[in-house]
Amino acid sequence: MIDVRGLTKVIDTGTHRVDILKGIDFSVPKGQFVAIMGSSGSGKSTLLGLVAGLDSASSGEIWLDGEEITKLPEDKLAVLRGRKIGFVFQSYQLIPTLTAEENVLLPYELVGGNGDGPARAKQLLDEVGLSDRRDHYPVQLSGGEQQRVALARAFMVRPAILLADEPTGNLDSANGRHVLDLLLSLNAQQGTTLVLVTHDQQLASHAARIITLQDGRVIEDWMKREDVMK
Amino acid sequence: MKFNRTALKIAWRESRASAGKFLFVIFAVAVGVGSLTGVRGFSQALATMLLREARTLMAADVSVRLLAVPTPEQLKVVASFDQRGAQSTRVTETLSMVSSRNAENPAFVSVKAVDPAVYPFYGAVKFDPPASLAATLTGETTAVSGDLLIRLKVGIGDSIRVGGVDFKIAAIVTGEPDRLISGPAVGPRVLLSREGLARTELIRLGSRAPQRILLKVPASIPLPQMVEELKKSFPDDQVSDYKQANQNVTRSLDFATSFLSLISLIALIVGGVGVATAMHAHLKQKMDSIAIMKSIGARSSQVVRIYVIQTLMLGLAGGILGVVIGSGVQHLFPAILQKYFQVKADIPLLPASALQGIVAGLLTTLLFTLPPLLSIQKIKPGVIFRRDMPDAKTGWRERLRDGRGAALSGLLIVVGLGALAVWLIGGASREEALRIGSIFTGGLLASLLLLAGAAWILLRLLRLFVAVTPWKLPSTLRHGIANLYRPGSQAESILTSLGIGVMFTLTVYLVQHSMLSEITAGAPPGMSNVFLLDITEEQRPRIAEMLSKQPGLEKTPELLATVSSRMVSIDGVPMENYQVNGKPRRFAGRRILTSADALPVGMTITQGTWWKHPKAGEDWVSVSDWIARALNLHIGSKIEWLAFGKPLRATVTSIHRIDPHRISSRIDFILTPQALQGLPTVYYGAVRMKPDSVAALQRTAYEQFPTVTVLNMADIIERVQEVVNQVAFVIRFISLFAILAGATILASSVAGTRFRRVREVVIFKTLGATRGRIVKIFSAEFLILGTVAGLMGSLLAIAFSMVVMKQLIKVDYRFSPLPILIAIALTALIAAAAGWLASFRILGQKPLEVLRGE
Repeated sequence: MIDVRGLTKVIDTGTHRVDILKGIDFSVPKGQFVAIMGSSGSGKSTLLGLVAGLDSASSGEIWLDGEEITKLPEDKLAVLRGRKIGFVFQSYQLIPTLTAEENVLLPYELVGGNGDGPARAKQLLDEVGLSDRRDHYPVQLSGGEQQRVALARAFMVRPAILLADEPTGNLDSANGRHVLDLLLSLNAQQGTTLVLVTHDQQLASHAARIITLQDGRVIEDWMKREDVMK
Repeated sequence: MKFNRTALKIAWRESRASAGKFLFVIFAVAVGVGSLTGVRGFSQALATMLLREARTLMAADVSVRLLAVPTPEQLKVVASFDQRGAQSTRVTETLSMVSSRNAENPAFVSVKAVDPAVYPFYGAVKFDPPASLAATLTGETTAVSGDLLIRLKVGIGDSIRVGGVDFKIAAIVTGEPDRLISGPAVGPRVLLSREGLARTELIRLGSRAPQRILLKVPASIPLPQMVEELKKSFPDDQVSDYKQANQNVTRSLDFATSFLSLISLIALIVGGVGVATAMHAHLKQKMDSIAIMKSIGARSSQVVRIYVIQTLMLGLAGGILGVVIGSGVQHLFPAILQKYFQVKADIPLLPASALQGIVAGLLTTLLFTLPPLLSIQKIKPGVIFRRDMPDAKTGWRERLRDGRGAALSGLLIVVGLGALAVWLIGGASREEALRIGSIFTGGLLASLLLLAGAAWILLRLLRLFVAVTPWKLPSTLRHGIANLYRPGSQAESILTSLGIGVMFTLTVYLVQHSMLSEITAGAPPGMSNVFLLDITEEQRPRIAEMLSKQPGLEKTPELLATVSSRMVSIDGVPMENYQVNGKPRRFAGRRILTSADALPVGMTITQGTWWKHPKAGEDWVSVSDWIARALNLHIGSKIEWLAFGKPLRATVTSIHRIDPHRISSRIDFILTPQALQGLPTVYYGAVRMKPDSVAALQRTAYEQFPTVTVLNMADIIERVQEVVNQVAFVIRFISLFAILAGATILASSVAGTRFRRVREVVIFKTLGATRGRIVKIFSAEFLILGTVAGLMGSLLAIAFSMVVMKQLIKVDYRFSPLPILIAIALTALIAAAAGWLASFRILGQKPLEVLRGE
């Protein structure tokens, strides 16, 4: 499903050069839940961004569902994201001028959705427990509520892959727990491949596989026994 | 398709959420469009007014000046025009002697005969006591100028004898619309009806009395066509239309319309610059939203759609508001100042020009928003991950590609504006529109390139300065300077837009200034308005004394010595045989000569040189450019005159032009002093009097010097000045409007950076900076920005003004440093004030409010 080969990311500002990723290789089969761990600055968010096609790699290849994406132009990447990838950010990243429901519907409208979009948006908001907050704007919602809207939005177009960057990082433990439960249950329901970036050991323990990064390299790729057996 | 609704929703809601900023954009567009519609309405009204004045000065649309009675064939041609809807009338002017029972000597007068039923087609003859022309002039009555009453010792109701026939004086003529273009007005005026003239038998077939045929042209006959047809039928006579009647008025009109077209375009550009900066700042602020949309699958074109919709909404709102403002200005202004304004207040706002205003607003907004809109494509969705990471250095290929995009959008703006300019000026001739459009576009393009280049260099120099300076700069100044070149700083774009704003605003002022002095030079306030003719050598000192004692004298009288002569030959060819371009030029009449040692004041030599040491035994002459053209004279031509029986021969050594308000401009030949030695001299005098003191001067002059003719031009010159003043007034007002709009938009360019400042202020405050310290840092930054933008904008304004003056208005630009210095200081102050105003609210904000909102 996801195949990363020899991936590097270098930022050259002209005055100095930062090697963020120094050759990453891994593949994630369909439906797997992978946690990417590492300390701050280890390159995990950059890796996630590259997998989502949000940034361009310095070298290496990324294959999503049999398609190499590092050479794709910006707009093709956008279309690919719209169809295949759901994204959950640490700081929610909702569009402030749209209501909760409109935010959830947005990916569906961006891909020129035809069908049950509004009904599905309502259903997803129900599932994240915000059916009474549909018409609220992001500023009128708490952090936990905003992240639940972001979850509903991420699942809106039934993506094959869900990428989550520290989804509970900005939340208190109760809210963080609630969001995680929702994420896991939606993921189980939809059978999505889930890649989650976190430095929270507790959160990572729910994953079937944990890839640990340090200084831009994979230093550990651990898999739960039952998954290894699979 | 579904996304369109969402795009509209986002566009609309963002507009609501950023109401303040968007109100500014709407205002900027509105100011531009308002000036455009207002100025256009004004300039149309002004054109109408000036054209009407020009027609009045001729009393007709077309005039044919004949030296003899027209032939039956010629009269047939005129009659054919009458059949096509035109109206015509004949005006005869001749010199004659008039006498009365009360006075010993008859007076030499200029008789003018008109048809009271038709004449004048435009304007009115004014009488004292007030009456209509038709009621005043019959076959038995006459109206005369006030000075004749003094000379002939008669009053209203008395009779005078003209050409052997008695006429009863019905009124005093105080004003004739076409006096300025009537023939040489020597002596007092006697106005007769044509019927009256016929009684006198002054004019017979073959008489050499100057006649004018005046025509009023219906809209169905194009004026140039009529003039052409008449020129064919009257090959030896002077056919002219009202536009040529008075150069002062038509020149003012040409200046004013060119200038006003230009100014309305400038207002639109200044508005556009405001829009560009505001939208640029807005999109910077929306970068996160754009990145989010892209990261969840939005293509660039979809995002661009949102902002195009937004831009169109703003442009439309601004355009509509602008049209409302424009029509308000159009209506209010003349209503308030009706005193100066002879135009009726109700200038209709035509749907077509309203629509044109709105479309212009929309197009300008779109064009100026093009660069920020195109930059949407460059926003990478990754920014939401790596906000605080430095930007990677891009390779030369990418930079070239980006640069190409920027250059392309810049070119598109410039070409688009050029096309818009040509479309808006469309009223003028196509060539003129294209010329103004290309000057304008070229100016804009050159300025943009220069400003962007200068801003780029300056910021690097500042950075270098801070790095290598041996002085220890105060930390507030250091931070202020550093703010200009930090990553994410908008200094380059502010410098460019502020510079463009300054350039255009100052150009308006500089051009207006130079142009006004040019317009008023055509009819300066001190222009002589009373002329004294035929003063003898013996009378001269006494006349000078009398004049100096006269109440109402406004300027030292000018006295010019002249010698009367007759031209005999040019380059040996007798005047009877002299031809120019195969046509005989009969210049055998009386010619006035004068002499001068040094170059007279107000005279410019256009060809040849002025004499320094005239050689004995060789006489030289400087001829006016008019006579040089008429007689095909050139440097080296030899002219011979006969003065009081003595032959005079001189070689042309220069061709000159004299300010039209100088008395010497009435004399075409200026000789070396020795040439006229020993010849009887007659003096010409020119005086500037208060118009109401002229009658007293005429009385005194007649009592003391009965042989001296006093010509009163005061009322005519006053009318010309009135027109010129009106033009100047409108130009001043509209310039002020454009300058104020420019200042407001300059302020907005700076205020547009507010969003960036919020973050800065919060970080400074969190780190313990006081408000005073932050204000100092910002002040340093804004003052530097303002001064530099002011300086660069001013330099460009000088260059642009020179081009505009030379190419459009065809007048030399007069440099004066004061407005430039003031402009630089004002820009710095405006930038600082706008910066403070924009930062004032931010300074009061609690850090956490902002940080939470992020």
